[in-house]
Amino acid sequence: MHIPDGFLDPRVAGLFWLGSGVAIGLAVRRARGELGDERTPLLGVVAAGIFAAQMLNWPIPGGTSAHFVGGAFAGILLGPSLGVLAMTAVVTIQAFVFGDGGIVALGANLFAMAVVDVLVGYALFRACRGVHETGAAAIAGWGAITVSALVVGLGVGFSSAFAYAVGTTVPIMVVGHALLGLVEGAITAAVYGYVADARPDLVLGRSADEAAAPEVGA
Amino acid sequence: MSARVLPTRPWVRRALLCLLVLVLFAPVFGWASGVVGYAEPLENAAHAAGASGAASAPSGLLSGYGVAGLDGPVGTLAAAALGTLLTLGVALGAGRLLER
Repeated sequence: MHIPDGFLDPRVAGLFWLGSGVAIGLAVRRARGELGDERTPLLGVVAAGIFAAQMLNWPIPGGTSAHFVGGAFAGILLGPSLGVLAMTAVVTIQAFVFGDGGIVALGANLFAMAVVDVLVGYALFRACRGVHETGAAAIAGWGAITVSALVVGLGVGFSSAFAYAVGTTVPIMVVGHALLGLVEGAITAAVYGYVADARPDLVLGRSADEAAAPEVGA
Repeated sequence: MSARVLPTRPWVRRALLCLLVLVLFAPVFGWASGVVGYAEPLENAAHAAGASGAASAPSGLLSGYGVAGLDGPVGTLAAAALGTLLTLGVALGAGRLLER
């Protein structure tokens, strides 16, 4: 999912920087009112947990491998603003310290994993939680990663390095991540279910924090 | 880490223990995914569109989730531990700064 440098045309990379800059800026503004002695440690722990979980590449026989991305999980547990901040920390550290994802491409990687994955996951969860809460977490994890893959497929597909083969890149990204996303959905649901059982007060919408978490608006 | 930055509530201690377990698993998963061969859909898309050679070499202090001089699982473990601590520190620090 992490786009290296050289894959995106400068104008495409610039558009992604613009989009992620606006969204992260809005998230920072809205997060100010939400942070405190309860939510700030949760922000740190969720970000660190997602970094560590992303290092676990699940081997899938047939020569592929996938790792948990975690944007939807961050959005569900922390709400959209803090979720965007947590994923921004993870993706930025991965690029600058670990060389995972390029520096020019960082705007695109932030847009896909720290903005789209978080906000789509949060929106799907909110839309479906009335039917079944854990099921909603699974759908959020699966759906959000698939939409993020579509964004990456469009980004590289409209770049010269990929010969503008958007008709090739989009199906490969969307179908690939729709299948791998089943693992993402299962992990999102399992960890969400565990946290909701163990500490329902930490989960957004299970406590007075509901009012501090506005609807998706970024 | 001071109690002000990260309060030592029971849930925080449990969460830190979970982080430690995830870090300890990193070398195991690294080895297992190496056995099946690591390829993400983006790499497959790059191959299909002929973009394989376009990517520049990754740069970063701990490129490729390893540590120079520490081969194999030990390097992966060290990278996982350093990265997890760094992420915890950066996210906590940013959160505390924004509280003001």
